[in-house]
Amino acid sequence: MKILVCVTSVPDTTTKITFTDNNTKFNKAGVQFITGPYDDYALARAVELKEKLGGTVTVLNVGEADTEPVIRKCLAIGADDAIRVNADPTDAFFVAEQIAAIAKENKYDLILMGRESIDYNGGQVHGIVGELLGMPSISPVMQLDIDGDTARIVREIEGGKESLEAKLPLVLGCQEPIAEWKIPNMRGIMTARTKPLKVVEPTSKDTLTNVSGYELPAPRGNVKMIPADQVETLIQLLRTEAKVI
Amino acid sequence: MATPYFSKRNLQFLLHEVFRAEELTQYEYFSAHDRETFNLALDSATSIADTLMHPYLKEIDKNQPELRNGQVTVHPKVRDYLKAMGDAGLIGAGFSFEHGGQQLPELISSSIGFILMAANNGMMYTGLTSGAAHLITSFGSPELQAAYVPNMLAGTWQGTMALTEPQAGSSLSDVSTTAYPQPDGSYKIKGQKVFISAGDHDATDNIIHLMLARIEGAPRGTKGISLFVVPKYRLDGTDNDVTSTGIYHKMGQHGVPAMHLTMGERDDCIGYLVGEPHHGLPYMFQMMNEARIGVGMTAAAIATAAYHAALQYARERPQSRRLNEKSQLDSPQTPIINHPDVRRMLLFQKAVTEGSLSLLLEAARLYDISQVAEGDEKENAFLLLDLLMPMAKSYPSEMGVQSVSQSVQTFGGYGYTEDFPVEQLYRDIRITPIYEGTTGIQAQDLLGRKMTMKGGKAPQLLFAEISKTIAEAGTFDDLKPYADQLTAELKRTQDVMMALMPHAQQGNIERYLSDATLFLDLMGIVVVAWQWLKQAVVAKQALLTQNPQGDELAFYEGKIHTMKFFFHYEVPKTLGLAVRLKDTEVLTIVSEKELAL
Ligand SMILES: Cc1cc2nc3c(=O)[nH]c(=O)nc-3n(C[C@H](O)[C@H](O)[C@H](O)COP(=O)(O)OP(=O)(O)OC[C@H]3O[C@@H](n4cnc5c(N)ncnc54)[C@H](O)[C@@H]3O)c2cc1C
Ligand SMILES: Cc1cc2nc3c(=O)[nH]c(=O)nc-3n(C[C@H](O)[C@H](O)[C@H](O)COP(=O)(O)OP(=O)(O)OC[C@H]3O[C@@H](n4cnc5c(N)ncnc54)[C@H](O)[C@@H]3O)c2cc1C
Repeated sequence: MKILVCVTSVPDTTTKITFTDNNTKFNKAGVQFITGPYDDYALARAVELKEKLGGTVTVLNVGEADTEPVIRKCLAIGADDAIRVNADPTDAFFVAEQIAAIAKENKYDLILMGRESIDYNGGQVHGIVGELLGMPSISPVMQLDIDGDTARIVREIEGGKESLEAKLPLVLGCQEPIAEWKIPNMRGIMTARTKPLKVVEPTSKDTLTNVSGYELPAPRGNVKMIPADQVETLIQLLRTEAKVI
Repeated sequence: MATPYFSKRNLQFLLHEVFRAEELTQYEYFSAHDRETFNLALDSATSIADTLMHPYLKEIDKNQPELRNGQVTVHPKVRDYLKAMGDAGLIGAGFSFEHGGQQLPELISSSIGFILMAANNGMMYTGLTSGAAHLITSFGSPELQAAYVPNMLAGTWQGTMALTEPQAGSSLSDVSTTAYPQPDGSYKIKGQKVFISAGDHDATDNIIHLMLARIEGAPRGTKGISLFVVPKYRLDGTDNDVTSTGIYHKMGQHGVPAMHLTMGERDDCIGYLVGEPHHGLPYMFQMMNEARIGVGMTAAAIATAAYHAALQYARERPQSRRLNEKSQLDSPQTPIINHPDVRRMLLFQKAVTEGSLSLLLEAARLYDISQVAEGDEKENAFLLLDLLMPMAKSYPSEMGVQSVSQSVQTFGGYGYTEDFPVEQLYRDIRITPIYEGTTGIQAQDLLGRKMTMKGGKAPQLLFAEISKTIAEAGTFDDLKPYADQLTAELKRTQDVMMALMPHAQQGNIERYLSDATLFLDLMGIVVVAWQWLKQAVVAKQALLTQNPQGDELAFYEGKIHTMKFFFHYEVPKTLGLAVRLKDTEVLTIVSEKELAL
């Protein structure tokens, strides 16, 4: 079983987001980067499948050198080797093209991704990669088992779950509870240092999209206190102001 | 969002910018590491702290361990935590490859301890196990090592430090637990131990006591004490006659049972000698610095968690209007962080906690160098560490208690309730100036031994180190006044020493040491001032060379501001201390005349 896991290096969820260059660039200074949480689920399942069925797990990231700590962590968790496509991941299509190019060269049985990144939350890359490779792409996958060349999958659909079977190779976007996040152990951390990390150049440098500006949402308003006996008012406000019901 | 319990940014700043952790990898012993292995180890610890420790902070406080029918039950999450730590290889990460570790520097291991203890200091189990296992790997036979260490590092067996007895607390030379030699080379142990942390519980499958005892007929005093491995269950699974005869109900740290143990009630408690007979205390003393860094870290961690809780609260709690707007009752109330008195309390907490952490990391780095360097470098690191240890244990714990008190104060009435964690943390931290050598004992160690050992070489080395920081700081206009102030402080401590030395020279040790604790307080302020100046120099360089923006700018400027706070609010306290220390009026030494107290 040859598994490719595509991972993002994204700002920690507690990061205060700021921009530079006239609000056209995300300010990375002082930001803690982490592996995309959904990618972490995909990786955890990949490592479990490898432990069960044998084979290899390769980690792939499209990003510049500053994503290497995240790649190293994936190696410490149990991936065997890694590839970094040395480019700014400017949009989902560009990223998907890079992933597809690597996949064509290496013929993976499974390409696992997160259901979505947590920086831009596009949820598109797996779909595009599937299209570019002519493979089925399924998301969001909550359960995955492999039986010979068949994958048994449970995925979330609006209001319920769907059970599927599909032949390998496949592209899957993963989410919990497909596996539990793994905490790298010290031995893994030490061996990760010597596992191969290949840096390759992108197949193209075309920029398809350009950011003309970022804008932060308006700061959240203050708490509104509603007396306990005025439930009607509360429901009204939840409907009209908070728009959650 | 949950309240943060420590600042990752600050830890990264101290480890990588101030203490340049990666430079340690130039020593052969640490050469398998790099910045990433350090960060990943810290990350793994943080994951464990976030998921298995911090969520249970209060629950563990509320559910104290109980002793029923001879069994001690602790919170079920303790087992999960120990297993996770064992699986992650974090209990013995600092051990050599040969002993199943990864040769992680103490600088990083102690930072891991800091993170764990900030998350939930009631889960103080793994530090004890690694301390106990380290005694076995350092002094025990290969057989003892093979039999005990792997399960301890895996988190399935607990290790303890079993020193204290009812009549032997501060005075370990009075240990009376006795070991009777057996024909097979083992010993039968008889006696009692009190206050043994994690001394019995159900979260591991066995408990391994590293116990001080006196071999029958051994000389009196410190030279007759030996070290033994005394397991709860023997290797064949049979009970080893270590009975839990009592459990203490403590003020804080409720997660860890402190046990009263009786050995040999049925005359069937076997112990195995570690190393040579009669070397127990020297062995313990060699481990002392590590253990004391651990306690200092626990104190710094608890105070840090309390500070972050107070800081968040102060930003969110509106109360009153600013002093210059008092009359404007229509204007909304201001968050209390805008009141100078609250800001003073917060700056005090930041100054104490971040200053303490810096001092402890300094000690940890010296520990590493003292282990792996050679020649003069090794010797000097060792002396410096020895000298700094009383301050590195006592400043974080004594000042930490005051800092958490100010955290409670920041919350006003709410701080005194169980709705917030600070009341618990206030109880938890209170033990830190007591165990692992009380402050009084640390003070005597400092003034009675370390200031004068090797002809006073250690303080000379310390002053030389501090002078290096002073010289660096002196090159920046806005830091120079503080550099000058620290120079004056060094002079002040020398004056105090000059005033005290004659008592020692005349052999009046009681007088020489009567105010040793105040001398320790004085030295604590001086070395933490040094740490703040050191941090300010690094922050200043970053401001000048990195053009930081936003939070980063605020971070570095906050460092310099807190350094100033320390010098303007804390350092002046040395004045009063020095006046008393040089005072000739003697009021605390017992005299012939009986005076009412
Ligand atoms: C420095 C930087 C600059 C950026 N600039 C722009 C920009 O100018 N315009 C813009 O629109 N977006 C930009 N992005 C966002 C980036 O394009 C997206 O993160 C990426 O394209 C994925 O898009 P998505 O959110 O649709 O991912 P999703 O489709 O939500 O991701 C699904 C899964 O695809 C995989 N995946 C996604 N991205 C990568 C990757 N880079 N490497 C490996 N696997 C991946 C992961 O498994 C992920 O869980 C930038 C990101 C960074 C870090
Ligand atoms: C929660 C908890 C956990 C503990 N865990 C452990 C453990 O795991 N293992 C273990 O072995 N022990 C443990 N201890 C014991 C602890 O180390 C002792 O309590 C401590 O060393 C003090 O000893 P003591 O209680 O007998 O106090 P004493 O020695 O009686 O001290 C009482 C007071 O007298 C002062 N004093 C004593 N001698 C002198 C002197 N010569 N000069 C000046 N002042 C002096 C002390 O500073 C102190 O203020 C623990 C204690 C507690 C409370």
